[in-house]
Amino acid sequence: MAMINIGGKQVEVDEDGFIQDPEIWDEELAKGIAPLEEVNELTEDHWKVVRYIREYYLRTGVAPMIRMLCKNSGFTLKQIYELFPTGPAKGACKIAGLPKPTGCV
Amino acid sequence: MPKKIVKGQELSQPARASARVLKRLYVREIPDEEKPAEALKWLDYYRKDRRSLVMAMESCVKCGVCANECHAYLGTKDPNNIPAGRADLMRKVYKRYFTVQGRLFGNLVGAEDITMDTLEKWFSYYYQCTECRRCGHVCPFGIDTCEVTMAGREILWGIGMIPDLQGAASAAVYERGNQGNMTKQALIETHDFLSDEIEEERGFRMEFPVDKPNSDILYVPSSADYLLNPETLKGACQFFEYVGANWTISSHMTEAGNFGLLTEQHSVQRELVERLWRTVAELGIKKIVFGECGHGWRAWKMYTPTLTDYAIAGSGYDYHNRVPIVHIHDEVAAYVKMGKLKLNPRDNRLAPVGKSITLHDPCNYCRACNLIQNLRVNLYASVPEVREMTPNGEKNFCCGGGSAVLYDDPEMYELRGKFSLKKVEQIKATGADILCAPCSICKAQFYGVLKEYHHLDIPIQGLIDFVGAALVFKGHRQI
Ligand code: SF4
Ligand code: SF4
Ligand code: SF4
Repeated sequence: MAMINIGGKQVEVDEDGFIQDPEIWDEELAKGIAPLEEVNELTEDHWKVVRYIREYYLRTGVAPMIRMLCKNSGFTLKQIYELFPTGPAKGACKIAGLPKPTGCV
Repeated sequence: MPKKIVKGQELSQPARASARVLKRLYVREIPDEEKPAEALKWLDYYRKDRRSLVMAMESCVKCGVCANECHAYLGTKDPNNIPAGRADLMRKVYKRYFTVQGRLFGNLVGAEDITMDTLEKWFSYYYQCTECRRCGHVCPFGIDTCEVTMAGREILWGIGMIPDLQGAASAAVYERGNQGNMTKQALIETHDFLSDEIEEERGFRMEFPVDKPNSDILYVPSSADYLLNPETLKGACQFFEYVGANWTISSHMTEAGNFGLLTEQHSVQRELVERLWRTVAELGIKKIVFGECGHGWRAWKMYTPTLTDYAIAGSGYDYHNRVPIVHIHDEVAAYVKMGKLKLNPRDNRLAPVGKSITLHDPCNYCRACNLIQNLRVNLYASVPEVREMTPNGEKNFCCGGGSAVLYDDPEMYELRGKFSLKKVEQIKATGADILCAPCSICKAQFYGVLKEYHHLDIPIQGLIDFVGAALVFKGHRQI
């Protein structure tokens, strides 16, 4: 468990850099996390994915199925990997402020 | 996790569960100075509780047969990954405290005091064993090093040394009844999405009932299917629809896996067993069908009867005698053998004609649960061409991710890659186009390492996926 500085805020993250308290997430924080996940700038396409994940999480308490994420955000898995080089679960979900996915994943 | 150095040797270890996670697991972390003594107490407890452990501790003759049978040793060449070497890490301590020679002659007879260094080594090497039991299959004395690993992990759990992966998943079990943190709302939204897909593919809709009262069959999928394996869920749904089952999924107990078996049997494994019977009582279930999960099936098939005591099931404590627990592939195979499923292997969306499929036998199915034949009954009936791996069946090699060593911190990820070297060699030798892996951990391991680590770009599917896609419907319900 560590505290790191994201965009001027001291934030508690786990070993893999997922923020520990999903409640403190806001768009500024997302912009701060992005470079740590090899995303230099959050474009409109990035936001589409991040917002979908965030809204799904707020409704259901968990990350969406990868295939659902692709279909509902309108990107192929390949495009999602281009947008988020570290992948949908580790990159995009982290930027959207979700906890790390658990189980056989 | 930064590497730990113990006596000049670098140890790879998974990231440890934080204080926050330990709290959710109701585990108190023992201070380091007290850990060795406390661990010894637990070892004493397990040796009295488990004859398999005592046998492993007392009867190894160091014949060396197991060395070349363990994928972890073959991939790393680390002597501590030789099954007998792995067991030795505990055996030295066992000798020192629980045998006469060890107490009298100490390290002259290879006995060793238990220290923090010992425990750090255990935390490294008991999480480099995938509990695949290939060693137990070949050992002339029947020593199953998996039993040593299980005890080792449980002892470590008792003193608060728990990997974050297993810890966070187990906390989710206590809180939400599955390892993936799924909620009822998540199940419903995912089901809707999959029903839409089936409707597009088939021209008519099939639903996934949730918590439906008075259901005959409870289907228990792996929670990982809700993130990664859509076709596995769809396959099961289409099968139940085809046979006209009155079935449901439960939001209270949505986990075919059970990490408890692999790391902590006293409370984590029991929690899911309790949830299972409560669900059976609430929904009036007459039969339980488990989805694709290797270790999970072993946990449910082999351990549920003994775990179903009065404390768990109350007045329904004999549930396990009245409500059968079956695996979806035994269920499907029974229908296939009766000729009641019309499957067209030459019209399979997931396995087009011209493509060949190879089957990875999940270790726990074939070395613990006798599923080898039925997996093949279902696969051969559903796909155009099968290419078997050698060796296979009960002699198979593990995927390298078994017991959920699915760590992604760099050193552990590197080890996952090495653990799967043998498997990848086997897959490549078949020349198959598609890999079938009917176990959630195997799938997750393959998604994670095949392309990225081994540069092997091959589609990965479960087995019920192929069955579902090969079913020939003439409209709803066929039987
Ligand atoms: S095969 Fe059995 S007896 Fe031989 S070294 Fe391995 S564990 Fe010991
Ligand atoms: S159970 Fe599997 S991984 Fe563990 S020691 Fe035996 S062969 Fe190796
Ligand atoms: S993950 Fe799959 S291959 Fe590996 S031990 Fe479990 S069942 Fe076996």
